[in-house]
Amino acid sequence: MIAQLLFSGLALGSMYALVALGYNITYATSQTVNFSQGQSVMVGAVVAYVLYVGLGWPFWAALPVTLVALALLGVIVERVAVRPFLRARSIAWLLATIAVGIIGENLAMIFFGKDARAFPSALTQTPWTILGAGVYPHELLVPVVGILLMALVELGFRRTLAGKALRAVAFSHDAAGLMGINVHRTITAAYALSSVLAGVAGILLAPLLNVSATMGTTIGLKAFAVAIIGGIESPRGIVAAGILYGLFEAIVAGYLGTGVREILGFALVIVVLLARPWGLFGQPGVRRV
Amino acid sequence: MARRTSLALLIVLALVVATVVPGFTQAKPPVVVALVAAMSGGSALSGEAIKRGLTVAIDEINAKGGVLGGRKIELVVRDEEGNPSKGVTAARDVIEREKAVAVFGGLHSPVGLAMLPVFHELKVPYVGTWAAATNITRNGRTPNYMFRVSANDDAVDHFLAKHVVEKLGAKKPGVILENTPWGASNQEGLTKWFAQMKVQPVGFEKFNWNDSDMSPQLLRLKNGGADSIVMVANAPEGAQVVKSRAKIGWNVPTVSHWGISGGRFAELTGELSESVVFVQTYSFFGKQSETGERVIAALKSKHGIKGPEDILAPVGTANAYDAMHLVALAIEKAGAADGAKVRDALENLGEYKGLIKTYKRPFTPEQHDALTENDYILVTWKGGKIIPVAR
Repeated sequence: MIAQLLFSGLALGSMYALVALGYNITYATSQTVNFSQGQSVMVGAVVAYVLYVGLGWPFWAALPVTLVALALLGVIVERVAVRPFLRARSIAWLLATIAVGIIGENLAMIFFGKDARAFPSALTQTPWTILGAGVYPHELLVPVVGILLMALVELGFRRTLAGKALRAVAFSHDAAGLMGINVHRTITAAYALSSVLAGVAGILLAPLLNVSATMGTTIGLKAFAVAIIGGIESPRGIVAAGILYGLFEAIVAGYLGTGVREILGFALVIVVLLARPWGLFGQPGVRRV
Repeated sequence: MARRTSLALLIVLALVVATVVPGFTQAKPPVVVALVAAMSGGSALSGEAIKRGLTVAIDEINAKGGVLGGRKIELVVRDEEGNPSKGVTAARDVIEREKAVAVFGGLHSPVGLAMLPVFHELKVPYVGTWAAATNITRNGRTPNYMFRVSANDDAVDHFLAKHVVEKLGAKKPGVILENTPWGASNQEGLTKWFAQMKVQPVGFEKFNWNDSDMSPQLLRLKNGGADSIVMVANAPEGAQVVKSRAKIGWNVPTVSHWGISGGRFAELTGELSESVVFVQTYSFFGKQSETGERVIAALKSKHGIKGPEDILAPVGTANAYDAMHLVALAIEKAGAADGAKVRDALENLGEYKGLIKTYKRPFTPEQHDALTENDYILVTWKGGKIIPVAR
């Protein structure tokens, strides 16, 4: 039983981590959070579905087009729902990004339809038996791709110029601006990247979760909880917290029942907020005087 | 005096003109009926299916000259979005402003229950076409304004429990249901009926909407020694239950409430769909009665469907079709477009040969559910089509 639960939790947890990492990237660069991340998950799955299943494109062609669409979505969200408010030093971006998400969900209902559709994958046809547990091969692919992608992002931050610009902006807008970094453009890029990460999670999840207009809502919310638990300023903390949260959910559901799963999960969020507001794996922020 | 005579003459003239000139007879006001159902959101398919069933019936009635000596029936539709308070507002609106004489209800039981006091206050009958919560019709009120041409949870639960225990010979059924009032209503019904059959379910496992992996819940049932599964779910989550069951390599009979027929369960689960049997009130597959053929033909010409496999959420369409005809008969019997009189007439209708069955006496003061357990059918999927299973 425990092996079964670990496999379930690992697949789900790495998706939470991938989406939550997007929260970290925008928060670090602009102190804002894109609350339509959940809908980016859905858009990734829906666009991939329309191209791959609806129009019958080969997957290698559908994937890059989907990623570009996601990046564009991130840019639009930042331009429409974040930048105007950031400029006015208002926190209305919070409501505005939620609004964008709701609009996106309802547009998807109109143009994609209201019922869930199946996303075919050769890897979800016959389950494998590993350590006595049944696993669809696709469920193993999800954490592998997820973790690889997260490692890639981390590497990109440390090694590439664009990544260094992102980290510089995260450190200080003024200093980065003085060093000739275009702060606005960097924030836009952060939104594009976070949207792409969420969308990849959506594409990965589609064969397991089915494709529907509302598929991202819950995962977006839980990923935010994960970001808070892991420490929204700590990318590594978020990855660890995401995977642990997925395992935690599976184990609670398996041994205590689903009824208490959300209660314990969100109670954990409150406990973390009280005991370590900077997150389990984060560090208390340095006060700038 | 002369003046009064001329006035009387004028009135007589007006009456003559009204009966002789055809333009006047056509101007008879329509009789309004309303649909308050979820037309958007996750259950929008059900609302659309109900609307189609009502429209097909209304077109038939109007083609034959309408009701009450030539008055056409007119349908107004309101979206309650699955939200009880919006349902209450919509119910008031269609009765007070649109003068509806009967209101049809949609898929969501909580909305039907919330609107219940409105129908009693404004004295207009509600006729449910989907929502199955037992206490919508069994509400203890006299006179009772709530009617239903649909399944009711209590009877479905008995139907499912009986099938599992008597037909499958299960000793330890495991139940998995959604974590909503609908799930709770069925947990109550199943607990009661299993107890009466002296069978103790292994457990009642729950899941939330949009949950992706149900293997933890199923493992609990499996480890508890369950020998069959009773499922209460809508299509997306039902599909996840079946896929998770296959994943953990657990091959036990699975019977389901009808929620899984409201979406694309067969597409979502592929061949696994053939491992589930579930309840319906009607199937458009297989040999159809004359009425069945007529309804399918009307759906084809109006909504461009190609065959029964395109009739999504078929029970909504079938239930609504019969419900509309019953309401029209009641309006005729009442002799007036008056909610209270239509209510009384509904309880005293004679035989009606409908789509789902021939109704001997559809409703009585004690029985406000036109369909009973004997009308339910057990079906399964075969190659993406719903086919009846021998009982």
